[in-house]
Amino acid sequence: MRVLIVEDEPKVASFIRRALEEESYAVDVCPDGIQGRDIASDVNYDLIILDLMLPGLAGIDVLQALRDARVKTPILILTARSKVEQRVTGLNAGADDYLTKPFAIEELLARSRALLRRASGDTTSRMQIDDLILDPITHEVTRGGQRIDLTSKEYALLEYMMRNAGRVLTRPMIAEHVWDIHFDTFTNVIDVYINYLRNKIDRDRERGLIQTVRGSGYTLKVPAG
Amino acid sequence: MLGFASALYVVMERAVQDHVDRELDEAAIAAARSLEEHRFGPFLLLDDLAHAFPELALIDKFFHIFGPHGQITLQSANIKSRGIPLSQTSLKAALQGHTTFETVRFHNEIPIRLLSYPIRHGDTLVNILRVGMSLRSGEDMLSRLVFVLLIGSPLAVAVSMLGGWFLAGRALRPVDSITLAAQRITGGDLTQRIHTTSKDEIGRLASTFNDMIARLEASIRQTRQFSADASHELRTPLTITKGETELALRKPRSPDTYREVLESNLEEIDRMSRIVDELLFLSRADLGEITMASVPVQLDTVVREIQSQAMVLGNERGIETILEHSEPVQVLGDEWRLRELVLNVVDNAVKYSPPGGTVQLSITTTDGRAQIVVQDHGIGIAPDEQRVIFDRFHRTDAARAHAQQGTGLGLAICKWIVETHHGTIDIDSAVGQGSRFTISLPLLSA
Repeated sequence: MRVLIVEDEPKVASFIRRALEEESYAVDVCPDGIQGRDIASDVNYDLIILDLMLPGLAGIDVLQALRDARVKTPILILTARSKVEQRVTGLNAGADDYLTKPFAIEELLARSRALLRRASGDTTSRMQIDDLILDPITHEVTRGGQRIDLTSKEYALLEYMMRNAGRVLTRPMIAEHVWDIHFDTFTNVIDVYINYLRNKIDRDRERGLIQTVRGSGYTLKVPAG
Repeated sequence: MLGFASALYVVMERAVQDHVDRELDEAAIAAARSLEEHRFGPFLLLDDLAHAFPELALIDKFFHIFGPHGQITLQSANIKSRGIPLSQTSLKAALQGHTTFETVRFHNEIPIRLLSYPIRHGDTLVNILRVGMSLRSGEDMLSRLVFVLLIGSPLAVAVSMLGGWFLAGRALRPVDSITLAAQRITGGDLTQRIHTTSKDEIGRLASTFNDMIARLEASIRQTRQFSADASHELRTPLTITKGETELALRKPRSPDTYREVLESNLEEIDRMSRIVDELLFLSRADLGEITMASVPVQLDTVVREIQSQAMVLGNERGIETILEHSEPVQVLGDEWRLRELVLNVVDNAVKYSPPGGTVQLSITTTDGRAQIVVQDHGIGIAPDEQRVIFDRFHRTDAARAHAQQGTGLGLAICKWIVETHHGTIDIDSAVGQGSRFTISLPLLSA
């Protein structure tokens, strides 16, 4: 899952980025309202964390511009003022949730998870395909009751695939949602990570859950027949 | 009203009686003179008297002339059948040579006023002249007065009450609207104003009241803005310390990571202390609680010391601070505050200078004032922001991005120090070309 943080205070942006990266999200940071609006319209983010006090363009205007441009990405706003009107204005302008500074980091993470879950249409946080279970809170992955240890990137890739189970995911889609802006598109990193994941979850199985769609990309689904 | 009516009645009654008494007295004196001319005695002829004194013929007076023992000797024609004997009191008084006034009332009739006037010849009482007069006209007048008072007084009271009520209502309507406005203001609505067009005392009261509320509104808005800004400025370092600490505690970290978090937190704690210190300073300054020394200060020495401090401050980024002109300048003020002022401006110039840049400093006497100029070649300030940089908590977007450790209060404090020294601080700046701050202070007059 890929997250954009639009926040001008470098230290605030930095600890939010590190916290999200520890949760295996791909994170981009933008310190300016205008840049934030532009990058959020170009890249298909899964979640945007938007500060309301920004240089360049105020957070509320960024929000308005994105919703006007039909960007449906969940947006969590951060506000320094605990005034009700400001939160109401933010929510009315199309924000999905808000947090007042200073906030607890666990709350930020929990709200982010909830927004991602709602966006993928799930009602519970645990995700399951066949006997493969992923818990986004504890990051625990099991197959047939057997615990599977994954690296952060492997986990991020699996979470993205499970949230979009059954859909064909092209390499650019995977790159956009699992890797951040520093990803180099001319490498075969995605294929390498798909192989790592296959080795860990589909090893010794007759038919794997991760299937290659020739000429397009990959999909995660229960094999037919 | 009742008191007034009673007093009026008594006064009128007295006036009527005095008038009657005076008339009787005049008539008596005239009659007495006439009697003397006729050598007294029973030979007085009323016709002669009437002839000599036509006014005596008037029907409203009548005469009796008594002998020295009280027996009637003569009476005027208009006395008709009535005989009024001389009273013992008046006889006694007459014997002693005094005149007597009496009022006699017969049953159900108009009272009569009588004057007994002794006519003496030497020491001997010759006759007693009595002049009488009906009090009818006086009584009539008094009863008419009573009537007027009885009907008129309540009417006057009613009319004056109505008029008073109407006038008071008119006069007090603005007072009512002031009261209403005051009540709404007490309820927290400071946008209330009193609408009045009158130019009288009430109008002046209303406009004074409006001025007062306007000033109150401005001051409360300023306070609200200030505390909102203050809490916002404090929220940022709080968010950072809380966030970084919580993140560090999520799982075991290396000692280096903990060190980094603690160092960063310490920076934020310092920033918060600075904000709180400066806020306290400004609020105490607003209340007039800051005491300022007023002694001669050698300003060029202060500037020279700050130049060497600025060299240290800019050392890391290779920024040089040059003292271009320096003249001996003395001003009257607080050396410590003036030092703070110059240091603040010079520190800003260093902060916003590009690495390897220079800051020029000068202290001169220009146009009879001490003038300190601080010139940098840094990022500069946009014209619309030049107007507000001395406001509290105002930090330009560029300043925020450039130097995260600012509090947004430094220039507000500078402005306060300059103003308490009766000086000015001005800015001349262009974006990308740097800024020039000019501090001008009155010289210490020799």
